[in-house]
Amino acid sequence: MPRLGQRVPLDGKGYMSRVNVVQRNRPPSPQTVKVLRALAAEPARWRYGYDLGTEVDLKSGSLYPILVRLADRGLLETSWEPSADSRPPRHLYRLTGAGREFVAALTAARGERTAARPRRRVSEA
Amino acid sequence: MPFFIVFLLTPIGVAVALYRRNPRRFVDGPTEDEPLRLLRWAVSLLSPQRAEWGQAMLGELGHLDGRPQRMRFALGCTGAALIMPPWGRAAAVLWAAIGITAASLTIHAGMTVHYQLGVGDWIALVVVLLICAGYLLGASALLRRPGVALPGLLGGLFATVVGLGLSGFTAVDQVTFIPRPWQQWVTVIAVPAAIGAAGTLWRRDPAAGRRVARLAALSAGLLRLLYATVAAAILGGGGPPDQDGGFTVRGTVSDRLVSNIVDLVVSTFIIAMVGWAAAALAGYLVRRPPTPATPECETA
Repeated sequence: MPRLGQRVPLDGKGYMSRVNVVQRNRPPSPQTVKVLRALAAEPARWRYGYDLGTEVDLKSGSLYPILVRLADRGLLETSWEPSADSRPPRHLYRLTGAGREFVAALTAARGERTAARPRRRVSEA
Repeated sequence: MPFFIVFLLTPIGVAVALYRRNPRRFVDGPTEDEPLRLLRWAVSLLSPQRAEWGQAMLGELGHLDGRPQRMRFALGCTGAALIMPPWGRAAAVLWAAIGITAASLTIHAGMTVHYQLGVGDWIALVVVLLICAGYLLGASALLRRPGVALPGLLGGLFATVVGLGLSGFTAVDQVTFIPRPWQQWVTVIAVPAAIGAAGTLWRRDPAAGRRVARLAALSAGLLRLLYATVAAAILGGGGPPDQDGGFTVRGTVSDRLVSNIVDLVVSTFIIAMVGWAAAALAGYLVRRPPTPATPECETA
């Protein structure tokens, strides 16, 4: 494992510092967390986009970019529901295995943070 | 005469072209409701990597009933489609356009403050801000169409350089230029028509040519606005109109800034309309008739 700032070779394509190798790991937004939790509530069930948006109270303009990002990160699995009548087929969503692990890790991290910062009682303040 | 052609005859030509494209629409009205048409348009802006997500939005809309619900969903998805990456090189071009617009508006606002212009001039500033925002939104949609960015921007640059070449490049030229009749024909008819026709021939597609003309119109408008605003800032209250007398410094500056806004709207409209018509005409002229099937016995 290279040290922070150490230059590492890149298959004859020059060097790059370890700072650049580390993948950006931005914490998910509160809206993304809501979507993840809604999907994790019934992880085996395929969900429709509109129903999911209604459940987490997100407009389509916010929901779809979130779904796209989750799918790009491999946390979301998508499928198509064949149309029964003249209506177009619908897109379905559910968490992948990695997505479920991510939600579990998210919940655990939140629990640790809550435990590390216990609320002070009024009498202690 | 050229202005008469553009403002009266070109809209008629565009209406005729739209009628020829789909005559039933004029009789029966649109076959799809507004949310579906809006979302179809927005989805067409997505990059090929995101095409599946566009189909997902359309599929979801197909299962929604109720016009308000459908419209809310379509508007949200349109907003998402307009900003959804990847943009590729279009992002760099859009940031350049935003930079040019921001520079124009900053100078305009700075002059409004510096010369202590009145309420009407602040309203004019808001108006030009809204117009520019609309231009940037339109440009962002056009830039994402494949093969439109480069010819559109070159067309806008071409129109700007020809316009400045005819008027002169100095700040004084920008406020004193009165075009001769042949110059009007060049700037109002020849240059926009050349841009539209070149766009069609470049892409071998009249639809692409019309988009090139629209992008050229928007980019030329924003470039001209920056140049004219810088010229107004350089001149300040000075320059030829001041010698006529009867103008205060504030009145002169205000007049020039408002003239820039009028010029922005008029020049954009002219290039877009004439370019649109020329692109459609070029597409009609270069359209090849389908080759009739030749019986095998004749070819043998």
